[in-house]
Amino acid sequence: MKLRSLLKAALLVAGSALLIAAVSLLGIIFFLYHNSGGGQDWSAPVSAISETLTPTGAGYAFTGEALLEEDRWAMLLDREGRVVWSFRKPEELPGQYTVADVAAFTRWYLEDYPVQCWVREDGLLVVGSPKGSIWKHDIAMDTETLLQTPFWFLGIFLLALGGVLGLAWLAVRRWFRQDQRVRDAARSGWINGVSHDIRTPLALVMGYAAQLETASDLPPQRQRQAAAIRAQSQVIRDLVNDLNLTMRLDCEMQPLRRETIQPEAFLRQTAADFLNGGLAEGFDLELDLPQTPLPALEADPFLLRRALNNLLTNCVRHNSPGCPLCLGARAEGGQLVLWVAGGAGKIPPPPASPAPALEPDGSAAHGTGLRLVAQIAAAHGGRARFYSGEPFRCELRLPASKT
Amino acid sequence: MAYRILIVDDEPALQSMVGEILAQAGYATAAALSCRQALEQFRTFAPDAVLLDVMLPDGDGFTLLGQLRQARDLPVLFLSARDEDEARLHGLGLGADDYITKPFLPQELLLRLRAVLRRVYREEPQTSRLGETEIDWGKGRVRRGGGEIPLTAKEFALLKKLWEARGNIVTIDALCAALWEGPLVGYENTLMVHIRRLREKIEPDPSHPRYLLTVRGLGYRLQREARP
Repeated sequence: MKLRSLLKAALLVAGSALLIAAVSLLGIIFFLYHNSGGGQDWSAPVSAISETLTPTGAGYAFTGEALLEEDRWAMLLDREGRVVWSFRKPEELPGQYTVADVAAFTRWYLEDYPVQCWVREDGLLVVGSPKGSIWKHDIAMDTETLLQTPFWFLGIFLLALGGVLGLAWLAVRRWFRQDQRVRDAARSGWINGVSHDIRTPLALVMGYAAQLETASDLPPQRQRQAAAIRAQSQVIRDLVNDLNLTMRLDCEMQPLRRETIQPEAFLRQTAADFLNGGLAEGFDLELDLPQTPLPALEADPFLLRRALNNLLTNCVRHNSPGCPLCLGARAEGGQLVLWVAGGAGKIPPPPASPAPALEPDGSAAHGTGLRLVAQIAAAHGGRARFYSGEPFRCELRLPASKT
Repeated sequence: MAYRILIVDDEPALQSMVGEILAQAGYATAAALSCRQALEQFRTFAPDAVLLDVMLPDGDGFTLLGQLRQARDLPVLFLSARDEDEARLHGLGLGADDYITKPFLPQELLLRLRAVLRRVYREEPQTSRLGETEIDWGKGRVRRGGGEIPLTAKEFALLKKLWEARGNIVTIDALCAALWEGPLVGYENTLMVHIRRLREKIEPDPSHPRYLLTVRGLGYRLQREARP
C-alpha cells in the first residue's frame, strides 16, 4: 500500500515535471519562430521596401512610404558608396560611405542607427530605424557546432529534466516520510497509552494473585489457581512489553544504545539472569561456547538480552520441565551466531546449511515474541533464522565487531 | 526499627496493594495521591524511603524527586507504568535509587526495596550464619567447630559477593570483576583456586559442597539452605 502510494505520487510528480518541461520548450521554440522570422520585427521586410523604389531615369520613384513608419528612414547607395536617393535620412549622416563604413554598418550600426541592408542591381538599399529602437547582434558559429546544437539542447534539457525529477523524488520521499512519522507517532502514542493503562490494573492482578499464591490460610487448590492467574498475568505483561518494543522498532523509534559486548560474558550473564528469575525451573540450561575466544559485538545489550530471553521463554513455554535448553555462540565468516535451542530430544549440532530455515525476517514467526527477535536482529544489521522441527532452534546472525 | 516508606501513587487501589505488601513485610507506610500530599506526608511522616509514581495529577515524579532531595537525601524508587528507556534513564539519571516498572511481583518489589535500604543505610549484620559456619563480616573470619579461620582479602570479597546474591547464580565474570576489577581473561583458574580454598573454610566437606555450588559453564551459587 505504501509502495503503491509512493509510486503514484512519483508518477504524478514526474508527469507534472514532463508537462512543465514540454510547455516551456514549446514556448521557447514558438517565441523564437515568431520573433526572428527574417526581420519581421522591423515591421516591414526590407525586400518589400526595395520593391517600392524604382529608378525613373532622372531619379527614383518611391511608393513605399506606408511600409516605413514615421520614424524610419531609407537611402540608396550606388556602387561607389554615394547616396543617390534618400527618404527622411538624418542630417548628421554623411552622403558618401567607404567600403569599411558599409562593412561596419551592415553588421552593426550606422552612427548608432540600427540599419538593414538590401543589395539591388543599382546599389545597396539601407533602411534605418531610430537610435535605440532595435537590438542587433551578429552571430557566427562553425558548422560543426551548429550541427551539434540540437544534441546539446537535448542533453541540457534531459539534464534539467533529470534534476527536476530528482528534486521531485526527494520532495515526495520527504513528504511521505513526514507523513509516515506522523502516523507512526500516532500509532506509538496509542499503543503507549493502552500499554500504560493496562499496566496498573495488571499490577493489581499480578500482585494480589502472587499474595494469594503464598497465603497460608488458603487451600492448595486455591493457591494453585492464584498461581495460574499470576503466571498468566506475567504472560500478558511480557506481551505488553513485547508489543511496545516491537512497535517502537517497527517505527524506528527505539534508539540503539550500542556497547562493545564480549559474547561469552554476556551469554553467561543472560543465562544466569534467566535461571535466577526462576522461569526455567526443572529445565536443564546449558551453555555451549567454543574453546577459542569469540569476536566482540557492538550491540544494544538490553535489546539483545531481550531477544535471547524471548527465545528461552518460548522454549520453556512450549516444552515440559526436563527438556534440555541450550544457549550458544559461534563465529562464522565475520558474523557472530548466537543461538538458542530447546525441546524434546538431544540438542543437535548446528545445521550445516540454512535450508531448513523458516524465514529470515520473522514474518512467519508466530507471536509477538519471536517477531521481536527478528526485529532486534535486523536492527543490529543481522538476521534471525528460525529452524523448523524438533527441537526448536533459532539463530541470530549478527555482524561481529571489526576491532 | 521498621523502616518508614512513603508510597506516592495516584491510583488508590495500587497504593493500597503496595501498602499491604509492605506492611506484611514489616514496614510502616504512608500514602499520598498527589505531589502536594506527598510533600505534606514527607514533612509529617518523615519517611526513610519513597516509592514514587512518575505521572501524578498535579505534577510529575521527576520534579517531585528533586523537591524531596532538596529537603533531605533519602532513597527514592520509581514505581511507574512508563517503561520507555527514556523515562527509565531519566529517572535513574536524576539520582533515583531504582526504577521498577509496573506490573511487578510483590517479591520483586520487596527485594529491590530491601537492597536499596541495605545499601543506603548500611544495614549489614556483623555476623551471618551459613549452616554450621558463622561468618564474622567485621573481623573477616569464619567460625566453625569452635575454631576461627581467617579469610584472605580475596576470599572475603568472594564470599561477600556470593552472600549478597545468595540463592542466585553469580557468573565467573561478575566474580572476577568483583575481585580484580577487570574482565575475566586469565583469571578463571585463579578464581577456581580461591573458590576451592573458600570451600575448605566454609564447607563441612569441601569435596562435596553443600553451600557453595558450581553451576557448570556459568558460575557459582551460594545456597540459602544446605543442599541435601
